[in-house]
Amino acid sequence: MIGVELSKMFRRPRTWTTIAVLNALPVLVAVLLRLTDLAPRPGEGPPFLSAVLTNGALFPLAALAIVLPLFLPIAVAVVSGDAVAGEAQAGTLRYLLARPAGRTRLLVAKLVAVLAFVVVTVVVVAAVGFVTGTLLFDAQPVGGTSVSGTSLTQEELAGRTLLAIGYVAVSMLGVAAFGLFFSTLTDSPLAAALGALAVLVTSSLLFTLDAASPVAPYLPTRYWLAFVDLFRDPVLWRDVVRGLALQGVYVGVLLTAAWANFTTKDVTS
Amino acid sequence: MSSVIVTRGLVKQFGRVRAVDGIDLDVGAGDVYGFLGANGSGKTTTVRMLLGLVLPTRGEVELLGQRMPRAGRRVLPRVGALVEGPAHHRHLSGAANLALLDAAGPGGRRRDRRRRIAEVLDQVGLGGVGRRPVGAYSLGMRQRLGLAGALMRRPELLVLDEPTNGLDPQGIAEVRELLLDLHRGGTTVFLSSHLLAEVEQLCSRVGVLDRGRMVLQDEMTRLTAPTGATVVETPEPGRVRAVLDGRVLAASGERVVVRGADPAEVNALLVGAGVPVTGLALQRPTLEEVVLAAAGTSADRVERA
Amino acid sequence: MSGHGRARRWAVLAALVAVLCALPAVVGALPADDADVPAADLRDAVLASAGVGFSGYAVSAGGLTLPVSDQLPAVADLLSDRVQLRVWWRGEDEQRVDVLTAAGETGVHTDPAGTWTWEYESATAERTRPAPLALPAPPDLVPAALGRRLLSEAADDELSRIGARRVAGRDALGLRLVPAAAASSVAHVDVWADAATGLPLAVEVVADGASAPALDTRFLDLDPSPPPAAVVGFTPPAGARVREGRDVGGLLDEAGSRLPAARLPDTLAGLPRRDLAGAPAAVGVYGGGVTLLVVAPVPHRLASALRAALAAAPDAVADERGTRVAAGPLGLVLVEPPGRGAHLLTGTVTLDALADAAAVLGRAPA
Repeated sequence: MIGVELSKMFRRPRTWTTIAVLNALPVLVAVLLRLTDLAPRPGEGPPFLSAVLTNGALFPLAALAIVLPLFLPIAVAVVSGDAVAGEAQAGTLRYLLARPAGRTRLLVAKLVAVLAFVVVTVVVVAAVGFVTGTLLFDAQPVGGTSVSGTSLTQEELAGRTLLAIGYVAVSMLGVAAFGLFFSTLTDSPLAAALGALAVLVTSSLLFTLDAASPVAPYLPTRYWLAFVDLFRDPVLWRDVVRGLALQGVYVGVLLTAAWANFTTKDVTS
Repeated sequence: MSSVIVTRGLVKQFGRVRAVDGIDLDVGAGDVYGFLGANGSGKTTTVRMLLGLVLPTRGEVELLGQRMPRAGRRVLPRVGALVEGPAHHRHLSGAANLALLDAAGPGGRRRDRRRRIAEVLDQVGLGGVGRRPVGAYSLGMRQRLGLAGALMRRPELLVLDEPTNGLDPQGIAEVRELLLDLHRGGTTVFLSSHLLAEVEQLCSRVGVLDRGRMVLQDEMTRLTAPTGATVVETPEPGRVRAVLDGRVLAASGERVVVRGADPAEVNALLVGAGVPVTGLALQRPTLEEVVLAAAGTSADRVERA
Repeated sequence: MSGHGRARRWAVLAALVAVLCALPAVVGALPADDADVPAADLRDAVLASAGVGFSGYAVSAGGLTLPVSDQLPAVADLLSDRVQLRVWWRGEDEQRVDVLTAAGETGVHTDPAGTWTWEYESATAERTRPAPLALPAPPDLVPAALGRRLLSEAADDELSRIGARRVAGRDALGLRLVPAAAASSVAHVDVWADAATGLPLAVEVVADGASAPALDTRFLDLDPSPPPAAVVGFTPPAGARVREGRDVGGLLDEAGSRLPAARLPDTLAGLPRRDLAGAPAAVGVYGGGVTLLVVAPVPHRLASALRAALAAAPDAVADERGTRVAAGPLGLVLVEPPGRGAHLLTGTVTLDALADAAAVLGRAPA
């Protein structure tokens, strides 16, 4: 079942178009940065972007930071919103369920497929970022500097970059769970994706609002930028751990909600 | 004869609308069952309840002797279905669609999957379609591919909802032949349709649905059994009435209906009296007449209250 | 049948959500163990904690919006924003405090010979020598350091106990300081000290007439064991810009030397002048404990910028006694006695006391 969903996901031209579009922005930023040599001022712009001018090997992180606030969640919302609602709209859902693909199994397989999409997307963005960064900027072969000003060896830098890629992927799980839940509520993939995006926009907005500070620790986007903490020395695990736990809770709750709804739903599409 | 589909008091309520209102279906093994009803009479909802897609508000469904939807995982692999038109992933080829669907549930062995796909594609007349994506198929081809999907695992029961939709007359004939062929091989066919002719040509048993209620369910032979009257065709209907005084039930144009289940006896009487007889047959009601008599007005009609 | 199953499944979800929502509240409501420690003993325990090494994570929320954001942006941000601090503390002169931002950090590494300040986003390392007088810096916001500083001169009769609460998952004993000085603008200072080590875990400074603290700094995580020296130390990384920082003392000396030396009175606003070893003569510090008043000469350029900022501040009080601004308990006034250069008066005194001091300074003979 999971294999079927993965196959559907990655044999679909739209999946690869989305990933390609997602990579266009960091590459564009890299080219502009190379041509103008104008780094963002401290405190502005995405994390790691100003450091790229001195070490191109950091561009995978800058690329992730560029797509993280908007592009990546939009892509995940669209793909996850399409998961069940897309099948419903195309009419293939009734054949899947009459086959029978168990409803719970289908839900889990869909989540795994969306997760695979997230991982592949993040890895591709990082890989394209690495190629772009090393082609356009000077890469320091001896490693790099941590955010705290200590030196990192090449291995440490590579290890932490992998951790950051993993963390960014996990950060997208909450969005995916929202998309999947909304996807079981409606037969319109667009409505499901917009629903997930509405949650994200609300979360990002509340995060900036002092009046909402009591709920801030529970917002799905709260710990997204914590991947920067992996490049402090010593690593600051606090927000990373909280971010992982929070995403876990969102996935658990929303998957339960999706299950409660989908397994008792009349499929009339 | 064991029952393949049984429903008892099946009810489905959508909000305030009662789409299905107490249906008792009984389809035996080896039947070709015609499930007739106008658009909106609840056919599709019933079919979806049989397959566990829609959950009944009340009542029971038994498929191949087991309760649905609980036993879906055991029963549905032995059922092939075509519900409300075919649906496929447009960017994939027909064979890829079949392979994905086959892999999505139990009972589809991976080892002989390619062979089974080739077989069913040949069976529905799509053997030479190649790797073209389904998006480039015609409506009729998609209908055939949907049928192929239903046949993939040699099901004991076929549940088909309007299977000849979008097919040209040759296609309809082909599908009819295919279904009869499968039936001869022991497959039970449950055919939901609003096309009387299709059902009349194929089915051994008929159920008629009207506004969510079952108004008729019987063997085709019994429904269209001789009425005990004989139809006489003659250029001189007036003389028939004179010869067979009191036995004429109806007359219109050159057609006269006469009481008496023995055409030979009627013929002998008329010929003996010198009345020319150009046609002679036992009277049988058509399925259309039976259905119209059982069901009311079309469900599409919205009468002024 | 199906309706029943549906209700049951949603009930499972509702129960799950309820448990998850209740969890933070339950954890937050964990009772703290109070200990029967008199206020003065608790203060002594706090002051004795200076040698305790620890590492932790603290958050400081300041409401001190001073109109100096153009002149001293770092100080203004420190006192008016929510600041996240990572702290490694080996002793008063060996510590590291990182101010975390979303995309970088500023690390302040203190060793006995001076301070390295590392700015990630500009890749700059700045070395400053120790000075008797310094502008507020991130280490000053660490609850442990701030609590000790605020309690260092607290008299017994200014102190009272205010129960206990949990801070950073530890039992913290409450100590309230209500300054006795009439001129003080601080209503009270609450220090929550670790029952085990005496380390202040949370500090709240509340201004006169305010309900919310003007400064609230607290640990969220604390590990009361000394961190390794390797974490605290700092070596500028390859490729970083390294520069020598200018210390405030030098700046003040310079300002003072270019101006005719103003003789500062022995008391201002009822507060006695105190000696500060090594401080330039031009700078006067008055008062004690949490009630302090600082008089410092200001270079001409800075003075005119400050004047403009003060005049533009929306909540400034302007009358014949000068233009004064208060941010929480902190007051600020610029005095410009004719012919003697500008002086800045600032401290935790009421605006009236500030005005009196300014008047005295304006009259003081050259």
